[in-house]
Amino acid sequence: MSDGAKTYLVATDVGGTCTDTVVFAVGEPVILGKALSTPPDFAHGVLDSIKSAADQMNLTVEELLARTSLFVHGSTVVDNAILTRDGANVGLLTTEGFEDTLLVTRGGYGRWAGLTEERMKNMVKTDRAAPLVERNLIAGIPERSDYKGAIIRELDEEATRAAIKRLIGEGVDAIAISFLWSFYNQKNELRAQELVKEIDPSIYTSISSHIAPTPGEYERTSTTVINAYAGDIARNYIENLADLLQKNRYAGPVMIMQGYGGLLLASEAADRAIGMLECGPAAGVIGSKALGELLNQKDVIATDMGGTTFKVSVIQGGQIEYAREPMIDRFHYTQPKIEVVSIGAGGGSIVWIEEGTNIPRVGPRSAGSRPGPVCYGLGGDEPTLTDVFMLIGYMDPNIFLGGSMSLDKEAARKVFDTKIAKPLGLSVEEAAYGIFRIATAQITDLIREITVERGLDPRDFVMHAFGGSCGMVSSTFGAELGVKKIVIPYTASVNCAFGLISADIVHEYSVVKTLPMPASLSEFPPLFEPMKEKALKALADEGFTGDKVILDWSVDLRYSRQVHEVTTPLKANLPLTDEGLERLSNDFETLYERKYGKGSAFREAGIEMTQFRLTARGLMSHPDMSPSPTSGEDSSKAVVGRREIFVEARSAMVESDIYDFTLLKTGNLILGPAVIHTPITTIVVQDKQRAVMDEYRNIVIELG
Amino acid sequence: MSTRQSRTLIIENGSTCCAECKKAIAPAGTSWKSGAALSRTKVIDIPGSTSSTHPDVEIRHFSCPACGALLDSETALPEDPFLDDILTNK
Amino acid sequence: MDPITFSIIRHRLYRVVEEAVITLKHVSGSAITNEGHDLMVSLYEADGTLLLGGVGFLHHLTSAAEACKSIIRRFEGDVHEGDLFLLNDPFTAALHTSDIYLVSPIHYKGELIAWSACFVHVYDIGAMNPGGFAPEAQDVFSEGFSSPGLKLVDRGNLRQDVWDTLLNMVRGPEMVALDLRSMIACNNVAKDRMISLVEKYGLPTFQETCKTLVAQSEVQLRERLREFPDGSWESRQYFDVKGEVYKVLLKMTKKDDELIFDFTGSSPQSKYSVNCTKWASLGGLFAPLFPLLCYDITWNEGVIRPITVIAPEGSIVNCTKPSPVSVATVGAIQSVNNAACTTIGKMLASHEKYDDQTSAVWHANHFAVFMFGKNQKGGDAIGILTETFAGSGGARTFADGVDIGGEIPNPISRMANVETVEAMFPVRYLFRRRLQDSGGGGEFRGGTGGELALVPHDAPDGGLHYVLSGKGSQFPQSEGLAGGNPGAINDYVWVHSPESDHGHNCFSQSLSSIPGEKEAISWGVFPLMGKDALYVRWNGGGGVGDPLDREPASVVIDVINEVISPEAAREIFGVEIQGEKIDAAKTEKLRKSIREERLLSKGGK
Repeated sequence: MSDGAKTYLVATDVGGTCTDTVVFAVGEPVILGKALSTPPDFAHGVLDSIKSAADQMNLTVEELLARTSLFVHGSTVVDNAILTRDGANVGLLTTEGFEDTLLVTRGGYGRWAGLTEERMKNMVKTDRAAPLVERNLIAGIPERSDYKGAIIRELDEEATRAAIKRLIGEGVDAIAISFLWSFYNQKNELRAQELVKEIDPSIYTSISSHIAPTPGEYERTSTTVINAYAGDIARNYIENLADLLQKNRYAGPVMIMQGYGGLLLASEAADRAIGMLECGPAAGVIGSKALGELLNQKDVIATDMGGTTFKVSVIQGGQIEYAREPMIDRFHYTQPKIEVVSIGAGGGSIVWIEEGTNIPRVGPRSAGSRPGPVCYGLGGDEPTLTDVFMLIGYMDPNIFLGGSMSLDKEAARKVFDTKIAKPLGLSVEEAAYGIFRIATAQITDLIREITVERGLDPRDFVMHAFGGSCGMVSSTFGAELGVKKIVIPYTASVNCAFGLISADIVHEYSVVKTLPMPASLSEFPPLFEPMKEKALKALADEGFTGDKVILDWSVDLRYSRQVHEVTTPLKANLPLTDEGLERLSNDFETLYERKYGKGSAFREAGIEMTQFRLTARGLMSHPDMSPSPTSGEDSSKAVVGRREIFVEARSAMVESDIYDFTLLKTGNLILGPAVIHTPITTIVVQDKQRAVMDEYRNIVIELG
Repeated sequence: MSTRQSRTLIIENGSTCCAECKKAIAPAGTSWKSGAALSRTKVIDIPGSTSSTHPDVEIRHFSCPACGALLDSETALPEDPFLDDILTNK
Repeated sequence: MDPITFSIIRHRLYRVVEEAVITLKHVSGSAITNEGHDLMVSLYEADGTLLLGGVGFLHHLTSAAEACKSIIRRFEGDVHEGDLFLLNDPFTAALHTSDIYLVSPIHYKGELIAWSACFVHVYDIGAMNPGGFAPEAQDVFSEGFSSPGLKLVDRGNLRQDVWDTLLNMVRGPEMVALDLRSMIACNNVAKDRMISLVEKYGLPTFQETCKTLVAQSEVQLRERLREFPDGSWESRQYFDVKGEVYKVLLKMTKKDDELIFDFTGSSPQSKYSVNCTKWASLGGLFAPLFPLLCYDITWNEGVIRPITVIAPEGSIVNCTKPSPVSVATVGAIQSVNNAACTTIGKMLASHEKYDDQTSAVWHANHFAVFMFGKNQKGGDAIGILTETFAGSGGARTFADGVDIGGEIPNPISRMANVETVEAMFPVRYLFRRRLQDSGGGGEFRGGTGGELALVPHDAPDGGLHYVLSGKGSQFPQSEGLAGGNPGAINDYVWVHSPESDHGHNCFSQSLSSIPGEKEAISWGVFPLMGKDALYVRWNGGGGVGDPLDREPASVVIDVINEVISPEAAREIFGVEIQGEKIDAAKTEKLRKSIREERLLSKGGK
């Protein structure tokens, strides 16, 4: 540790519950740090988490940061501001005649979107979320562009000034500006923004043609409003974080994770609050992708099961899926964002009996960490999945969280018997197996549904299992889905932070224009060149040139008169040739049929291009994980005991070996049924499955 | 001992009564509206209506004759009878 | 049966429907299917018993069941593995010709074990007016192709002759072909998933689950019905077509654990295409019953069993062939729907426990505007204004209705963005917003409807035409509850100017300020050419409770937000406002005097 030349990468991910840190240096073991998050002042948790890692290295926070060359950060701060309604007092300027667009959410869309089917069915109890802007703070502005972006009504500056003054008089401290068709022509929005600055430069402004230059005024406006709402909070947060790091002797750049899975420099990220939404889960997917690259796995279903939710995302051919209609707390936004689908099934999910049918159910309500599962003994009196895991032998009451907390199995058994087993007329064991089967079946159904939605077959995929509870269920639902193998990574518990150090700098650019396929080749340079110029300049300013820069072009295409658009990578070289364009068209058709199914292609109607995108990447240096040599298959030294666990295939409790993860060595083989306890989580290997500790200390379950 | 008939009416001692003031309006199990005070508003006179609105269609407001609480309303052409809501037993 | 396995299979059946819906939307790719969610997928037992209805257009759950049953009857002995049947005859089972059912038998090891069915509103059906709604039709024969059942796929082979014949009869055959392909793919997915489910759990367990699922729904609904007092509740709906007035009368009687819906007294069938066949009426009745009374019960045949429907033959709710019916789904079916919503709402309100499940009528009257003509790129365009799916919520007993908040029979619909419409059609919106004073007054007011105005823009032919099936601009249909007022009424105005001018530079912000002569229209085909404009306003939801009991502060907020006018605040809610503040003394006085007026006009028949 005395080598002063050694430099570290430090990544800290602030989640809803925990703040995780990963410290990495070439040739050294990865150090993991963990602390509780401290909303709304997240900085404490960040320092605590770094300290927990520094402690393990016998360094102070200052010493660690002084030797750190790069600090990467992801945070839930923007999500938190919206979920707790802690943002700015926002006013909105929009095209006259369309003042209600934001509030009426395209009809019922905002009323039902984001609800489970069960809640949708009880319509009388459904409502929109309370809006982030009140109607009296929305001002219609005389101005209009048409569908081509032609300004057919000039901005009425006098009316605009009056509206701005009125809003400021009403006490707004941020103004969002969103006009119809502005993504084709920014002029009126830019002018309105100038007028705000003239009247009061302290007002935070956010314009739709800058924040979300895409068609669809409802989603674009909603995005702009969210950005204005959380803009100041994000900016202050990032500036304070940079200050804090500097005070602790950090001198390098600060990079902020974006929901699309790339990093931005703090200075740039500070102006795009919207970009930080759901960046934690996005980092998790990046972590999974990096792991897949390390293990040479291109098709991955990434799963994560924590206390309240089960999350899934799909990596296909090394490509990440982007969400089509992302939402935050039932507000729609439009922004490239990695698709992560979730259901309310986690360790804390409450097990209950449905009234009227006497059918057992799991979630979506969760006991959270307080009061938590019954077995925590913190006052929880509703049985949860965690209690079930303990009743079926998967958790050891005595070594929970590395022995830092012991669990009350008897209390769990009693509550489960009264509230679940007896009403079902089953024994505690039978009922507990049943609940386990229901939970894993629901997860199977979810994964099948989202793979179907993408036209994929789970049997072509490897599964990654992250999070505190995933290791106990993944061997069961993975087997039912028929995935090739399951990897429970060494970094499973701090996967998001691991993703942060695996990410690159990414700038996203796009231009909206509808062109027929094929189009004249002269149409393309005016679309591509300005984006390229902007991207290269931005990356050069950040120190990326030459082979550290990768430009990925893609085009959104659709069949005419159809609503589904498919973002298709442009594989041909620029400038485009007719052949290149044809290849794009063919690739689109292949992707379309794969995603939407056989018979969905609609060539008769013709093909249109609608949006042109550039993903500009500045390649960061990433951790170079070094493999360790194998120590042979014999895992007997890691066996620490035997106990009865539920074995799915035999529908019975079977006495099985219990392993201690910390005693396992590379190459060790474990035959199911077995349980592996790690300091953070538990891994169950089902009957007839083989688990191996690979050269990076991941547990890999081969299904057979 | 009273039971609920609707949001505005209860049944007490064999009568349909105003839930607000307990005034008996009609014998239980019969059409109660004839025992209520009735006022009518032409739909076309209500703010928000259009010139296409039928000239005769009205909203009938049935109120408690004692306390004036609004008990029910219905849309009707003048020649059409009251809509009857009757509880036959509990 | 084993509750664990049952729970798992039930969950999986829901997912089967969900996956089939995804497939339908994916392959179809049309706006009406993807934005309007104008679709439905459901599963049936081998004998056609409705096993599981999905969250789609709920009018179809019962009539698709009848489609299944009538296919079983018609093709007895001729149903084979890999067959697929088409049915769209309204007098056999369908609602109207343009909602085509594709019904697929599901076999396992050679045995017929179940059926799946789905529908979409196809692009065109060859009726005399484009798009499926045919306000000018005299009879069902001018409403396009209609089949009481035909085999489209025979043992896995598409019958090309049938396919070609069908597509030969419609406008935009390539679009209709895609709609049909989407439904074929949807049924295939449902079939695959059902078979793998049976493979995993075995046929006996699957069949036992089906029986239990249906039996359970029946038990649950019957138990719920027993909680309510016996009684009868009435409702009445009026609507008009070209000056003719129609009535739908409903008396709902609840006795023990059964419900009888009696439509006796409803108007005779119409010469216009707003009629319902009995299948359409049944669908219209069940559409609100599922979400209002069975919000926590699986939607299947078990829910249908405790219900009896009486619909006199020859009436507007059970018309005889060859009455025209193409506008049924936005015609009499909605009145059936609204009437049922009202009587069910009244029954729910009779029990304290269900008070908060009670709702006034939502979006009571669709406004089907099908635009057709050349778009700005010179291509053909037919399409519905999806605002009709945007609707309005009825008031609840604990909150206002949701402004432009949807409709009961189609729980997850939405409308397209203005920018989407302007990109697809050569039109420009002048405004699209909530409609003032449209939500029915009440302690809780109905959700507002909306208003919009369109002018032609960049149209190669100078504009477009549209088919308007806009019955019902004379009568409010979103009934209130417990004293609440009904929501305001739909209206359609053709603003016309004789001269032709392609550069429409109007930016008017209200109907009254759009230059030109204003003509109220509701039924037929009209131009949106030259300097024409089309103004549409749509109904709000009904209110709940006495408007005089509404919190004055809520009234003031509505006035500030221009959701209600100061005039309505005064006349309906009895609230006097000075500037942006309540005048408490005047309000109290005003409310007192309105109450006294109610008492002065002593009633009786």
